[in-house]
Amino acid sequence: MSNINGKVYAMNAITPMKPWKTWILRVFLFLLGYIKAMRADVINLSFIEFARWVVISRRGFPMLGGGQVAEDLQYDYLLFFSNFNGTWNQYIDAFSAALAKGLNLVWRWSEKFPGPVPVTLFKEYIARVQFDTDYYYTAYPHATANDLKAAHVVQGAFDGLSAQAAGLSAEQFADAYLNFVLQVQGCLGETGEAPVVF
Amino acid sequence: MPNRNGTVYGLTILSPIIDDEKATPSHDLQIRQYLAGLPTDERSPFASWQNSTQGGQPATHLARLVVMDDVIYVGMPACEEHLNSKYLIFESNLDGGPNGDLDGYLRGLAETAAEHLDAIWSHCVGYPGAGNVDAFVKYMKACQLTTTFFFAAVNDKSVTESLRALQTQKAVAKFIATHQGMPAAQLQAEFLKFAADVKAAPTPRAGSMEHLTAARREIKTGGHNE
Amino acid sequence: MSKLNETDIQGFVLRGYNLPYARYVFLHFTDAKKATALIGRLLPLITTGQRWDGGKPASTVNIAFTHPGLTALELPDATLFSFPPEFQQGMRDRAEILGDTGLNAPERWDAVWQGDPVHAWVGIQAQSPEALEDAYAQIAALLTETGGVSVVGAQDAASEQLNGKPTAREHFGYTDGFGNPDYAGVERKSQPGQGKLLEDGKTWAPLATGELLLGYADEAGELPVAPVPHILASNGTFMVYRKLHQNVATFRAYLDAQTPLYGGGRDKLKAKFIGRWSDGTPLELSPDAPDQSIVLDPNRSTNFTYGVDPEGTRCPVGAHIRRVHPRDAFGFEGRLINRRRITRRGLPYGPFVSEGAPASDEEDRGVIFMALNASISRQFEFVQQQWIEYGNDAHQGNDKDMLMGNHGGRGKFVVQGDRSAGNPPFVCSGLPNFVELRGGAYFFLPSITALAMIAMGLVDPR
Repeated sequence: MSNINGKVYAMNAITPMKPWKTWILRVFLFLLGYIKAMRADVINLSFIEFARWVVISRRGFPMLGGGQVAEDLQYDYLLFFSNFNGTWNQYIDAFSAALAKGLNLVWRWSEKFPGPVPVTLFKEYIARVQFDTDYYYTAYPHATANDLKAAHVVQGAFDGLSAQAAGLSAEQFADAYLNFVLQVQGCLGETGEAPVVF
Repeated sequence: MPNRNGTVYGLTILSPIIDDEKATPSHDLQIRQYLAGLPTDERSPFASWQNSTQGGQPATHLARLVVMDDVIYVGMPACEEHLNSKYLIFESNLDGGPNGDLDGYLRGLAETAAEHLDAIWSHCVGYPGAGNVDAFVKYMKACQLTTTFFFAAVNDKSVTESLRALQTQKAVAKFIATHQGMPAAQLQAEFLKFAADVKAAPTPRAGSMEHLTAARREIKTGGHNE
Repeated sequence: MSKLNETDIQGFVLRGYNLPYARYVFLHFTDAKKATALIGRLLPLITTGQRWDGGKPASTVNIAFTHPGLTALELPDATLFSFPPEFQQGMRDRAEILGDTGLNAPERWDAVWQGDPVHAWVGIQAQSPEALEDAYAQIAALLTETGGVSVVGAQDAASEQLNGKPTAREHFGYTDGFGNPDYAGVERKSQPGQGKLLEDGKTWAPLATGELLLGYADEAGELPVAPVPHILASNGTFMVYRKLHQNVATFRAYLDAQTPLYGGGRDKLKAKFIGRWSDGTPLELSPDAPDQSIVLDPNRSTNFTYGVDPEGTRCPVGAHIRRVHPRDAFGFEGRLINRRRITRRGLPYGPFVSEGAPASDEEDRGVIFMALNASISRQFEFVQQQWIEYGNDAHQGNDKDMLMGNHGGRGKFVVQGDRSAGNPPFVCSGLPNFVELRGGAYFFLPSITALAMIAMGLVDPR
């Protein structure tokens, strides 16, 4: 019953939107798929494993009959699910400091969004619209997004070296091995427990 | 792109929970109770939940289950409104392969975790049970929301590839540290043996921290939001 | 940006004094009325931030309080509860957060840090041992006169003396004292590299005043969390005090054992741990040899970024100074680190032992580390937890800081290199604890006005 599993945190947030604003957000999210610069920023922040936005219109809640009462809502809703590394404070601090413009473009259409700066008001808003996770699973609790990316670099370099290793002379191998070490030297961090949350 | 990013599929399922005043505890609380007792580590049903069209490998990177009680009132001048049902959210980040194969994942789910699925979703409206796999897949898709925008830091590696890469990384770090200053011929011989060992090593169990010797620590929270 | 009233701020906050002898005296209050009377008597002795136009004084005195101390002084409850939670809890209760476990665990701390006897820290610094004793005697006499206060401990510290002059060296042989941040409005010699990076990625500007002092805007454009009333907090700051024992014998033995395997030689390997040669030359500016001309030039000694060295081949990615002050290494023109800076004060303690002479880890020596910041949790605790005892932001996974990390015999440190024989890649593993925590606490360092209010019992929450 925790938002946390190993090094990753599951954040859930829901914010109301006036329906006439929803289509603006949909257009922006559509374009985001093609705006490399903004995606580059998120990638460089490098502590999000997976994240998604789900726009659910006021008539979009699944209706399965069987006595279920239909929803009767004024607002559309924006659901946000993030899987990130680090503490809650660290995560929001980083976004507020580095990605304020992008955050604004997504959430300004939500009611009463105060803007990502100054950060204390922003954190209060998130605390209000966040709801908690009942069950959280990760296949690799001991690894962050950075750890995974580093691991894939090591695996790739290792596969390369082991494919050719047998056919080399000792000297050639020593040289290839040095190349290998230089390729992976920034990617060798241990994996394990996360620091205690505070 | 909605729903997909590379070979990872972002599945969002919203299942209305049965609203029955006579149920004690209520259906949403029963789901919560069950989830509270479900293991989140290598014993999790997700750790063995396979994508039946991808060779029986665990297919879930990260997944969560959330009972959403209601929408949230953000304060005046916004209007206060409420949902008529509670919903069970299932958010999963899974290996869908290059073609976004959701069916294989859902079928694998029904085939390997029926007991848990039934225990959880029997509290939801219109749930047909995991015994009838076709009806189950149809039900899940009826509850599926389009993921409007989906981001994945690593979007081209499967769960198995990731687990093996992490294992390789650990082994390589140790090998480099213990083979410094070694003469070339010896280094080569040892590396060849090492490479064979790494390739032959079984894939570590998904969801596990078991390679750590220290006991799993309880979460401690507390601090000022600032 | 408002001009600072230096007569209202304790001098210890604004400048490092550079006085080579210190005694940190720890007080316990047994009677609130008498203790506040003592504070009133000490007030005229407290050194302010006013500039010394007539040369350095023979000695300086400053004072700070723990939360139990403020409670013992019977400040109003509403004020006491308005202090940030980490300050109320105290450093010992935050041990797991800080990684103060194993050899650093509170059970192993010095006696004075067991329980909560420390209510106040009185920092005396002086030009000579005689001046130090004079100042101490003066204060001790006041204590005897007022009563209600006892001395529960004292820690002496002093710079190493070489040919009658103080050096800036600490016990592992590194030259210390670089890298304190610049803040807007705090007058001191300003150096490129000490503040924050501007948008162009090259120019340095002072950090917002509120990163150091309460009551001023911080880097996020808001006032840091501070106790009420405003006038109690304004011009004050928080201080983290940590007594760090240094295992000099273990350090030297480890370096000696690794050197034969490392192609760059002992001095270079030692430099790679920290990011500077022993004389203070930054590796980033001079990767092959120390260069005193850089050290002595304030426009160069801290003026560098890591953009040209993303692989860490000059200064390793996990080196100490790169961990605690990443500069531009996280991208975004340094915006992710501007709220994670701290001002460091402190001096070494214990006898120095030269390189060739035998040393023992049992001997009592190390460094008294004090960090000043407006927010203990956002600044010091964050750096300690995320950048020293952990490495994810530096892309080093769980690897800890080479020198300060609580390794427990298991850690590793990677020296990234290149193809040259003198700069090979190298892995140091099986790391022991080179540094052990022997005690400490969180303190509130009030302004002169706030001290007067405390002394007169006039603190009124609102």
